[in-house]
Amino acid sequence: MDNAICFLLNNRSVTLQADPLRSLLDTLREDFGLTGAKKGCGEGECGACAVLVDGRLVNSCITPVIAVEGKTVFTIEGLRETPRFQELSRCFAQAGAVQCGFCTPGMVMAAEALLMRNSFPTEQDIRTALSGNLCRCTGYSAIVAAIMTAAKEGEGLWPASFDPGI
Amino acid sequence: MARVFRPGNLKEALHFLDAERAAVLAGGTDFMLKAGRYPGAEFAVLSIGHLHELKRIAIDAANVLSLGAVCTLSEILESPLVPLFLKLPIAEIGSPAIRNAATAGGNVCNASPAGDVLPMLYALDATLVLKSHGDQHEMQIRDFIQGPGLIRIAAGQMLTEIRIPLRQTWRCTWRKVGGRRANSVSKTSFYALIDRTSRGLGDVRIALGAIAPTVVRSREAERIILDAYRGKPSQRCTEIIALYDALISPIDDSRSCRDYRRTVSLGLLENFLTEVMRI
Amino acid sequence: MLEMKSISVPAGRLDFSEKMTGAAKFCQDLRPHGMFYAKTLRSSKPRAKIRAVRLPLLPDNVVIVDWRDVRGKNIVPIVTDDQPFFARDQVNYIGEPILVATGPNPDELRKIIDSIQVDYEELPAVLTIEEALSRTSDIIYGDHPWFVSYEYLKGDPDTAIHEAAISVEDEFHTGYQEQAYLEPQSMLAEQKDGVMTVRGSMQCPFYVEEALMQALGWERTRVRVIQLPTGGGFGGKEDYPSIPAVHAALAAIKTGRPVMLVYDRGEDIMCTTKRHPSCIRVKSHLDANNHIIAREIEVLSDAGAYCGLSGVVLQRMIYSVPGVYQVQNLRVSGRACATNKVPSGAFRGFGGPQAFFAIEMHMEHVAREIGVDPLLFRKTHFLRQGDLTATGGRLRSPVELEAITDSVCTLSDYYEKRSTPKEPGGKLRGIGFSAFFHGCGFTGADERDIISARVRLCKGEDETVNLYVSSAELGQGAITTLSKIAAETLDIPLSQVLCGYPDTGVCPNSGPTVASRTILVVGRLVQEAALKMKEHWDEAFCETESHFRYPGGFSFDKKLHTGDAYLEYAWGANVVEVEVDPITYSCNILGAWAAFDIGTPIDTTIAAGQVHGGMTQGLGYGCMEVLDMKAGRPLQCSLTDYMIPTSLDVCKIDFRFVQSESVLGPYGARGMGELTLVGAAPALAAAVENAIGKPVTQLPVTSEYIMELSRHG
Repeated sequence: MDNAICFLLNNRSVTLQADPLRSLLDTLREDFGLTGAKKGCGEGECGACAVLVDGRLVNSCITPVIAVEGKTVFTIEGLRETPRFQELSRCFAQAGAVQCGFCTPGMVMAAEALLMRNSFPTEQDIRTALSGNLCRCTGYSAIVAAIMTAAKEGEGLWPASFDPGI
Repeated sequence: MARVFRPGNLKEALHFLDAERAAVLAGGTDFMLKAGRYPGAEFAVLSIGHLHELKRIAIDAANVLSLGAVCTLSEILESPLVPLFLKLPIAEIGSPAIRNAATAGGNVCNASPAGDVLPMLYALDATLVLKSHGDQHEMQIRDFIQGPGLIRIAAGQMLTEIRIPLRQTWRCTWRKVGGRRANSVSKTSFYALIDRTSRGLGDVRIALGAIAPTVVRSREAERIILDAYRGKPSQRCTEIIALYDALISPIDDSRSCRDYRRTVSLGLLENFLTEVMRI
Repeated sequence: MLEMKSISVPAGRLDFSEKMTGAAKFCQDLRPHGMFYAKTLRSSKPRAKIRAVRLPLLPDNVVIVDWRDVRGKNIVPIVTDDQPFFARDQVNYIGEPILVATGPNPDELRKIIDSIQVDYEELPAVLTIEEALSRTSDIIYGDHPWFVSYEYLKGDPDTAIHEAAISVEDEFHTGYQEQAYLEPQSMLAEQKDGVMTVRGSMQCPFYVEEALMQALGWERTRVRVIQLPTGGGFGGKEDYPSIPAVHAALAAIKTGRPVMLVYDRGEDIMCTTKRHPSCIRVKSHLDANNHIIAREIEVLSDAGAYCGLSGVVLQRMIYSVPGVYQVQNLRVSGRACATNKVPSGAFRGFGGPQAFFAIEMHMEHVAREIGVDPLLFRKTHFLRQGDLTATGGRLRSPVELEAITDSVCTLSDYYEKRSTPKEPGGKLRGIGFSAFFHGCGFTGADERDIISARVRLCKGEDETVNLYVSSAELGQGAITTLSKIAAETLDIPLSQVLCGYPDTGVCPNSGPTVASRTILVVGRLVQEAALKMKEHWDEAFCETESHFRYPGGFSFDKKLHTGDAYLEYAWGANVVEVEVDPITYSCNILGAWAAFDIGTPIDTTIAAGQVHGGMTQGLGYGCMEVLDMKAGRPLQCSLTDYMIPTSLDVCKIDFRFVQSESVLGPYGARGMGELTLVGAAPALAAAVENAIGKPVTQLPVTSEYIMELSRHG
């Protein structure tokens, strides 16, 4: 069996030979040196490893790398080059939404995933979107406030969309 | 290192399964945890999460909803074809990132007593389509799931589709009881449907999760509830609850205790009978 | 509204950008050339003799490190010398380290660890406080079932008890709490040119340095410890990191490689320190005017298998347990019991959360017993400036408990909600209150006797000022707030002050990052060093240091537990409103409110972050975070089973700062890091009690417990 796996990583086409069941997290961190995504639990419980696959938030620690074959993978290292990140960064700074910083990259990816689908989120929408990203420092309030402000003041950066929920 | 086969289509997948025994990988949310416990173990894996043929969501002429086995929970939540009474339990599973990867078929095949997709499938009399190379079977979910982690699937067979007969008139009551509001495994769960037409109550279904090795549903009890509703005074609420009490066998574990599970499960049932059914 | 002092104006975190972009390098992000990994073999028995350890045939590049490799002393240096770095011939808790395997492939190491056979001879284990106290022979620690036992008296309790009109008694129980920092314990050790450098996740670089010197038997000049960005500590990285640091260092010496030791989450929960479970008995004696004239309090804590910090935690428990109340006659005792379980240790609050839960619930119960409004009852006993504390220390700074209470009650609409009659049939609403303090800095005179902190400031020719402290940046904002104090005092822009992560090779020892001492003690020294520098600002190069001086008039007798137990106090009150579901017994937190007197906040945004984070941890402790032991083994060893609050579990938290200036802290600041956690659980428990009408005597207040209370109460 050919173990070559191809995907688009932060807008760059990449190919690697790897154990197909190797976690996407280990692949990103060890094979590509992208250490923004963190290993907090290795079991999909904390969200510190969250990245976007085809625009959706996933826990890279329990995503086998074969699952991203032919897909787009977007990490904090890709996001931080965008104007959307600049806006999130400004709002996170203002709200005091970063403390120890370990959950932050995953948290920012969760915010991006939300705003790409729902550019007018309610507080409840934001809390739901972050519910798989544990933070032990902030109590979430500042993070929720930061995302709320980014959605309001960053109008136009994310495609206008509204998620009606269920 | 595990040998992983990524088929181009369903036919190739079934052909592979016909030739060798393999673990089936869909979303990976449970698979990766189990695989992580055996680093470097030699086993064959069939990866099917990408197969478009297994991602179909459709309703046929007989009003049966068909969910492809590798539809992610998020895809089901976003589909306009899927009614609310199926979405409510799914919306409370795991977290957004888990729902983006976990599949409906995976939740069924894991056969966890706490699997939150299962009670509604029991209540709705869902059937499972099991395909193998050159063959196809349909099986009721209650026959498929044998116990915790135990499913009735033959060598070469794969779950490809979940078929759910729909009624526009179903109204659902769902309660998941977990230790927190997201990312929690059910301590117990309650799912009920009623079909109230202009002529009165047509049907009632009740499924209790996480209080026995498999979901608990009793057609006999449901008939008695219907009778009670239709005014046969011989069957009172306490007797109905006693029927269910005899069917459940909750356990103590790291998340809760049997006493709590029993009390709350039966409490939710009682609340449903008195507040919704008004028995 | 007070006008905000310039020091309080938010300045923006200095470490923000590197953390926001994901560029910050945590320990697990480093990968020096030729690095080896390490995995730990741990005891699977709570108490056993090790007869033999049978290794499988090892690949050439895998090396085993155990007690034989400890050339210095195989004892972790922390307060009491009893815990080994590696078990030698006996294990005393499940998870105790026996050896470390090191090599290039972590998966292979895990397999090797799994295939090592340890031949145990099991010994009868002590698994609870009750078992420890009832055992008459085969005591597991020395000749008594506790590591430490304290008692102190205030006034003449016996005479007062004799005169009492009524007595009310309670017994409270609290469970474990796991710090659940998002970054697991992580260390990277590297030996170069005869110097051992250990970098990693930690609160106290000089504790780690001390541990390395002791285990390796090396001079201070050959050991260097550098803190890396640390993904949360909360006390869990106070003393524990010494163990993985020494393990990694020994592996690095034996292999000649850099060695990375990162714990798995399950391993981290299983074998690192947690908040002490406790049993607290309180008995109050009142006169005919409903005034408390005497109190007897007995505290028992479950210390686990080694003493570690349990003695100091117990001190804080017994000094905190009389609460914010003036009671003339006290008898308080405490014992930290030895059990065959993972050692309990430091966790934000350090004994305070258990103590204030007990005393605040007790105040509710006494008030109910005598038919007095619980808030009014508290107010008539509140401590005031100038009063003597339980240990007889004078409260020198202002004590604004009345203002704090009024502030939080107005904010939360407490009286209105408390007096609203319950609607029958529906969900049960309740509201609860707590008042509390946190003593800032080390206990008694230990800031002088044990720590003796120093800080240094250096001004270069470009007029930038380097600030050298050993205070660790854990997310709480230490680097930013200490730099702000230097900048404000020197009257220079914040950007002109440079402060990095602590490095024992460069920084003076300003003490550990614990005990809410960073602003009060270290911040004060920074301010003093900056004031000295200001006098020499015109000189091209200038270096100033300042040393801790125990303030005049303070004293503490450690044996008698009398005098100034703490340098300063910070005060607070919380209100929590809950709704209890009568069917599932689940407790939904509707709102949480707080007022804190932390003196002057050094940056209001950072202080607000402490409030939200601390209260959220406290609410988790109050109702959600369950860690049970079965046969000495923790049952909840994952972040799915050990549940901390998610974004959906946290309600709106609203708070005010009541600012009365400390006489000691820089710019009038007191300590705040721990205070914010202490009062949330008792306010929540009181709210549940108010909702269901049954006395709550146990933490956490889980659905299962509420069910039990509702049935039997």
